[in-house]
Amino acid sequence: MSSAAPQAPTTTPMTRREFLYYVWGASMALFMAEFSGALVWFALPRFKEGEFGGKLPVDVSAIPGVDTGPKDFPEGRFWLVNLGPKSVSDERQPADYPPQQGVLAIYKVCVHLGCLYKWVPTNDRFECPCHGSKFLANGVRVDGPARRNLDAFVMRALDANGNELAKTKAGDPAKDDSAGAPFVLPAGTVQIEVDTGKRIQGAVNTKPGGGK
Amino acid sequence: MAIFKLHVPILDDIKAKGLKPALLAKVDDAVTRFTAGLSIGDLRGVLRGDPAPRPNPRLKPHADGFWFHMRPTYYHNLVTPLYPEFRLGWLSLYFMVFETITGIFLMVFYTPSPLVAFENMLNILSRVPLGLFMRDLHRFGAEAMVAIVALHMLRTFLTGNYKKPRQFTWFTGVVLLLVTLILSFSGYLLPWDQLSLWAVTIGASMVEATPTPWPLNLLGDRFFGDPSFVGTWVNNIARGGPIFNADGLLRWYLLHILALPLIGFVFIGVHYYKVVIHGHSLPPEAEKVGEDTAKRVPMDQRTYFMPDIITRELFYVALVTFISVFAVTLGNFHAPLEPHADPLVTPLHTTAPWYFLWIQGMLKLGDKVFWGLIAPGIIFGVLFVLGYIEVGPSRRYADRRVGLSVCMVALIALSVTTFMGTPWYAVSSSADQEVVAVLVPQTHPGPLRETPYEEFVAGEYTVKPDDQADPQAPTEGLKSLLTLYKHELELASDRLKNAEGIMIVEDWQENLKKITLRINWTNDDGTAGTFSQDVYLHQDSNYGD
Repeated sequence: MSSAAPQAPTTTPMTRREFLYYVWGASMALFMAEFSGALVWFALPRFKEGEFGGKLPVDVSAIPGVDTGPKDFPEGRFWLVNLGPKSVSDERQPADYPPQQGVLAIYKVCVHLGCLYKWVPTNDRFECPCHGSKFLANGVRVDGPARRNLDAFVMRALDANGNELAKTKAGDPAKDDSAGAPFVLPAGTVQIEVDTGKRIQGAVNTKPGGGK
Repeated sequence: MAIFKLHVPILDDIKAKGLKPALLAKVDDAVTRFTAGLSIGDLRGVLRGDPAPRPNPRLKPHADGFWFHMRPTYYHNLVTPLYPEFRLGWLSLYFMVFETITGIFLMVFYTPSPLVAFENMLNILSRVPLGLFMRDLHRFGAEAMVAIVALHMLRTFLTGNYKKPRQFTWFTGVVLLLVTLILSFSGYLLPWDQLSLWAVTIGASMVEATPTPWPLNLLGDRFFGDPSFVGTWVNNIARGGPIFNADGLLRWYLLHILALPLIGFVFIGVHYYKVVIHGHSLPPEAEKVGEDTAKRVPMDQRTYFMPDIITRELFYVALVTFISVFAVTLGNFHAPLEPHADPLVTPLHTTAPWYFLWIQGMLKLGDKVFWGLIAPGIIFGVLFVLGYIEVGPSRRYADRRVGLSVCMVALIALSVTTFMGTPWYAVSSSADQEVVAVLVPQTHPGPLRETPYEEFVAGEYTVKPDDQADPQAPTEGLKSLLTLYKHELELASDRLKNAEGIMIVEDWQENLKKITLRINWTNDDGTAGTFSQDVYLHQDSNYGD
C-alpha cells in the first residue's frame, strides 16, 4: 500500500443486499406517507346533512325598522339590518364602498378570527370583543385587524304566493359593488328567506380606517 | 427422606451469629440492595456530612442503579451555585411531574364532554374534598412551568449555552417550550367555560389561515371544490367541526393528557441526555474563548452529586412546593372559571392567559396569516436553528453585544405585544358598557356578584358623578358598590355627559334577586342615551368565596 500519495476516495459498488435495504426503506417511507394521509382522513370530522346552512324564513314584521339598528337572529347566525338614509349618509363610510339602502343579512362571525362581534348602539357600529375589529351597520370594516368587510348571506324577498320579488346579487363584491349589496324590499313583500348556505365574502378592506 | 429440602439462609446466620447481629446484617443487606450500593453505614456517613471514604461507595448507585445512572457523579464547583443555572431546568422537570400528579387527581372527576365538563368543574370546586386545592395547584403549577421554562431558555441564551456543541440540546429545548405552551393552551380548554370555547375558536381560526400552496390549491379545487382545503381541514380537525363541539373537546383532552405529555417526556429524556453528554457548561467568564472544559473537571473542583447536589435539588423542590401550596391557600391564588361556554356570545374583554397575551396583541395588528402564522413561525423557526446560525465562538457577554441587544429588544417587543393583548388596547367598548362591565364583568364574577346576597336590599339607588356626598345605601356592601359605580362614571364623564347611574334591586323570586344597572346620559347632539343590563343573583350562587 503506497502511503505517500493521497488516495482518491474509493467508490464501493452497491451490493444486492444494500440495494434491497434501500428498496425496503423506500417502501416504509411510502407506507408512512400513506399512513399519515389515512390519519388525516380519519381525523376529519363527518358532517350530517341539515345542520346550520339551510334556508331561514323571516316574516316581514320581524325585520327591523329603517335605521333602527341591527337585529340578532341567533338560530341563523346572522344580523338583519335595515339601512336607511341615516346609515347611507354616515360620515365614517370609507369611500371605496358606496353605501346602499335596503335590508341586508350579515353573518355573525367576525371575518378576523371567528369571534362573535356585537352591536354597540352608543358607538353605532359592530365591535368585536376579541381583537377589536369595528364594522359599520352595513358590514364595512372601519377599524381593526380584520382584512375584509363582513360576509353577507344571499336573501330572497317573497310575496304572499311565495313568488320571488327580489334577490341578493351573488358574485364577488371586490369586482362588483352590487354583489352582496342590500336591497330595498319591493312592495308586496311578506317574507324574506335568508339562505345561510350561500355566503358572500366581504370585499377586501385593509387600510386604516377602512378602504381597499 | 425429605421430598424437598427447604433452605433458609437467615436461620443459618442466626445460628452462627446470634439473633440480633444476624437480623441487623440482613437489614443492612436489604438497604444496600435498595440503594444500589450504599449500606446503612454509608448512608449515615452521607447524612452526618463525613468526607467520602476511598474508594467512594457513593458512586455505586450511579453505576448500578437506574435512577442515578442518569445523573452525573459530580459537577464543577462553578456550576453548583445559583449562578449560572438557577436550577431552572431541574424545576421545569419537577413541574412536569407535579402537573402529571395533580392532573391525574383531576382526571378522576372529569369527563371530556360538553354536557358535563362544566358541571364537573363545579363539582370539583365545591364538593370534591381538596378538589379546589388540586385544581388551583394544577393551574399554579402550569403557570409556574411556563414561566420557569421561559426563564430557563432566557438564561441559556444569556450565558451562550446554545452554542457549539450544545446546539441540539437547545433545539430539543425549543421543542419542550412548544410542548409546554400547547399543554397549557389545551389545559384551559377543558373546563368548557367561555374562555375554552373562544380560545379554541381563535386558535383554530389562526391555523385556518394556513395557506394551501400551489399546486395543492388546484388539486383541492378540482377534487374537493375548495382551493384552500388545507386551512379548512386543519380548522375542522382542531375544532371537530365548523364550530368547536364535543369531538373537538375530546381531541384537545386526549392531546392534553396523552399525546403532549408523551412527547414531552420523550424530549425531556433526549434533552437531559444531551446535557449530561456535553456536561454542565461553566459560566462564560470561567473559560477561554472557544474552549469547552465542562467535561474535564479537576479533582479539586468537584462537587459530588451525593450528598451535595441531591440535597440542593431536594431543597429547591421543597421550596417551590411550599410556594405553590402557599400561593393557592393563604396566597389566595385561584384558577379562574368563566361562565359556561356559550357559542352565541363572545364575552367582552375575553383574554388569553398572560403567557399568550403577546399572540393576542400581535393578532390585533392586522392580517392573520402574517401575525397568526408567519410571525410566530419565524420566531420559533429562528429559535429552533439559533445554535446553527449564530456561530460566534465567544460566550462572553462583552463579545455578544449584538446578540444580547437583540434579545433585549425581543423582550421589550414581548412586553409591548403583551400589553397590546390586554383589553385596554383596541377593544374597549362604549363608555356606558365599560362602566357596567367593571361592576359585572363578562369573564369573571366581579365586584357585584362577589357581594354577599344579603347585602342587596330591594330598592332603587341612583348615583351621579357630580354629587359631593357619598352614595347612601342601607348596607355596607351596597354602599361600596355604589361608590365604585359613581367612581367609574366620574372616570367616563368626558364621554358620558350628565350621566346618572341607576341600580335597581328587586326581589324577583324566592331566593333570587334581579339587579338592573342602567346608565342615562346626554349625547353631544342633545338626545338622551340609555344603556341597561340585568343581572340575576341566587342566594346559593356562592361567587363570594
